[in-house]
Amino acid sequence: MKEPDDMAKDRAVDAALDAARASPPPVPAHLMTRVLADAEAARPAVRDRSGFGVCVSELMGGWQGVGGLVAATLAGVWFGFSPPEAMPDAGALILGYENVELLTSSAELTSFGWDLDGG
Amino acid sequence: MPPDADSAISDDVLLARYVRGDRAAARDLTARLLPRVYGHAMRLLGDATEAEDAAQEAMLRLWRTAPDWRPGQAQISTWLYRVTANLCMDRLRKRRPLGLDQIAEPEDPAPGVVQHMQDRMRFDALQEALDALPDRQRQAVVLRHIEGLSNPEIAQVMDIGLRAVESLTARGKRALRDLLVRRRAELGYEDERTG
Repeated sequence: MKEPDDMAKDRAVDAALDAARASPPPVPAHLMTRVLADAEAARPAVRDRSGFGVCVSELMGGWQGVGGLVAATLAGVWFGFSPPEAMPDAGALILGYENVELLTSSAELTSFGWDLDGG
Repeated sequence: MPPDADSAISDDVLLARYVRGDRAAARDLTARLLPRVYGHAMRLLGDATEAEDAAQEAMLRLWRTAPDWRPGQAQISTWLYRVTANLCMDRLRKRRPLGLDQIAEPEDPAPGVVQHMQDRMRFDALQEALDALPDRQRQAVVLRHIEGLSNPEIAQVMDIGLRAVESLTARGKRALRDLLVRRRAELGYEDERTG
């Protein structure tokens, strides 16, 4: 069991610690400012959504719209090189052939007639 | 520490919002955590300027860690106490002992402000007594008796076992008591006991 004097000593220490706990040192305003400036400087970069490319992409419906456009373009290029057999020859139509045959292997019908001039 | 506007939101959530670019979350976190960090640094270092630098550095480490922080891995406040304590210990190790000419002269007491002076003297006396403790004892006593952390939390902060925490806090408080008792009459505790 503690002596009365020991209890008084304990009370003195407890009083000092309680006072310290009850009144923490106030944070200086300039420290708060410095810490917030650090927070701003260290803030992870958030993706910039304001560029021209982003605007165009969003006008066309976002990535889904752009993806569809790319797919359609690639399909067009593919048909240009290797058109389906049932497709009429646009070059023949422009040159005025009355009886357009459905896709022959003739060069004159598939080259817009440029080789006709040379031949 | 004064409660911030929305203390129902956890520190983890606020930190995640900060990572997503929410400036208000950074302000709330700072208002919530900086007083603890600064108060802890102040108690460990006993010097306002050094405590400010240590607190700023500890908070900066929090901002830099934020993108990699995994919610639930630890309490942010516990992690911050630990970072702060480590920064303070580094500073204490580099610090040279004060010469007599570097210690401020006590001010003359003015009439009518005796109580204020006594409060100030007690505050300073506690800090001086804390400064006189070995570093680990001081850290344990401050965390337990001023910051109000539980022993398991202190064990996490100091990276020691529970028994070591109990030993450090008990020895630290006993040493603190012996240091303060020597000045009990000077600090007015004798009068309070008898009066």
